Amino acid sequence: MTKVQLPLSKKESRLYMAFMWVTYISLLIGGLMGLLQTLVRSGKYTLPFNIDYYTILTVHGVILGLVLTTFFIIGFQFSLMGKTVGISDKQLKVAWLSFWVMLIGTIMAAVTILVGEASVLYTFYAPLRAHPAFYIGLALVIIGSWIAAFVNFRQLYVWKKAHKGEKSPLPAFMVIINMLMWFIATIGVATSVLVLFIPWSLGYAETINVLLSRTLFWYFGHPLVYFWLLPAYMAWYVVIPKIIGGKLFSDALARMAFILLLMFSIPVGFHHQLTEPGIDPTWKFIQVVLTFMVVIPSLMTAFSIFATFETTGRRKGFKSLFGWFKKLPWKDVRFLAPFIGMAAFIPGGAGGIVNASHQMNALVHNTIWITGHFHLTAATTVILTFFGITYWLVPHLTGRRLTPRLNKLGIIQTFIWTFGMTIMSGSMHIQGLLGGPRRSSFSEYAGGEQVATWINYQIAQAVGGTILFIGILLMVYIFIQLTFFAPRGVQEYPIAVEEDDAEPTPKILENWYLWIGITIALILFAYTIPVIDILKHSPPGSLPFDWPIGR
Amino acid sequence: MGKRNTVQHQPNPHESTHSLKGTFIAVMLLGVFILVSWFGFYALFLSR
Repeated sequence: MTKVQLPLSKKESRLYMAFMWVTYISLLIGGLMGLLQTLVRSGKYTLPFNIDYYTILTVHGVILGLVLTTFFIIGFQFSLMGKTVGISDKQLKVAWLSFWVMLIGTIMAAVTILVGEASVLYTFYAPLRAHPAFYIGLALVIIGSWIAAFVNFRQLYVWKKAHKGEKSPLPAFMVIINMLMWFIATIGVATSVLVLFIPWSLGYAETINVLLSRTLFWYFGHPLVYFWLLPAYMAWYVVIPKIIGGKLFSDALARMAFILLLMFSIPVGFHHQLTEPGIDPTWKFIQVVLTFMVVIPSLMTAFSIFATFETTGRRKGFKSLFGWFKKLPWKDVRFLAPFIGMAAFIPGGAGGIVNASHQMNALVHNTIWITGHFHLTAATTVILTFFGITYWLVPHLTGRRLTPRLNKLGIIQTFIWTFGMTIMSGSMHIQGLLGGPRRSSFSEYAGGEQVATWINYQIAQAVGGTILFIGILLMVYIFIQLTFFAPRGVQEYPIAVEEDDAEPTPKILENWYLWIGITIALILFAYTIPVIDILKHSPPGSLPFDWPIGR
Repeated sequence: MGKRNTVQHQPNPHESTHSLKGTFIAVMLLGVFILVSWFGFYALFLSR
């Protein structure tokens, strides 16, 4: 790994901060919508001004699941690339173009949803129809992110040309893997939006192939989850070791884990469609098996993290079996927030294995357990790690410092988040096991014994949601402090280096043709026959539906 | 550190800093947690 960090120029920092601004504005808007949803579902609150529940549900999903994550990830990844391989003026200009294209797309989609013309939830399942501006806005967000991906590819290419024979810096390698995965995955959703949804919503195509549109969505939808998770892994592999005063455990292991995640994140979309009629169960089973392969790099990551903690602790002189654990920097929010994120990934991952277990999926599918699951993985593991990154990245970019006071506020924020999410996600999981549905507004479903068991959990979700919203307000306050008011100074950009006696990383790990080749082969294997089957045997396409939700 | 080098009996520093016993146990516990929770939900699935 490169031992020298490149300085980030003011021009660069401005770009990376632009991405952070969109992130935190999105957090505020999307978080408010989340709060309103939990209040409505408690049965004790009605939305004012005739606002539809499904409008705010769509805003929540799109703004947090697609916009916040994509902007934070691309901004953070740009900074990692800038730090390790550098960015030219020309690349910077193109990177700004990616930002503006994404922002215009976001505004288009957001306004369309807010005026009630796209209440189709973030999965925009056909035959629910939104206004064409919604789909066009989403397409622009994707196109903008592709521009960013190609800037990243170019950045590494230029660096490799200037450093012949050297291995790429680990953070840059990880960014390229994530953007490759993103590019390959978004081809699916882009095809769906451009070929199926836009002509259909404009009225040029009368009907839409519902199953094909959902299949293309989930071809993208699962790698989307890993697109969120990999930047968190980047922080766990290369940032956390530095923060705890240690070194990188294994460069080769980290690269191998990322390659496996690239290969096994995409050909697995059917595990989101296990109850979908029209897909041959054999192919569902094959994709379930491929899904389980993701357990391997996840456990490799867990091993690497524990090993980093233990090696660092033992080097500091702690000898007992778990003595090193007690001495981790618990009072440093840059460590604490991502650590709680890691801990949340243990039940989150275990729940994910349940979801993906073919027939067992029937236990939880379409229940609010699923919502609880991704609030544990995306909204705790990923988000707390992103908050953890924010505490040092933002002051680094603005030329300020994380003060002890802001560090303390960050620790309070982390506890508020953990507490609120334990209540909210926990009650969602339990209510899901009791059959409580997801994606639905408050209803008593004309009474019934089973329905009566749900309400207390829905009230608990409103309590948890309220606590989480307080956490959001505090986080936005910290962000503003770190941007404008924290004292001037130098905040370290923590990137761990390898051990001096580290084994050399095998060259094959940077054989892009090989890994991209295997990835494409796996996708073709997992999708070709079922997609041909879908195209040949689908029922007649569907006319658009604007009711009960939609436009 | 200089003083310690003069001591005749030295513990193997490589062994003490590179011991991953705690990591091994932690990862095994993680595996046990995943298995126990999976079989728990499997039992629930069968009971329904």
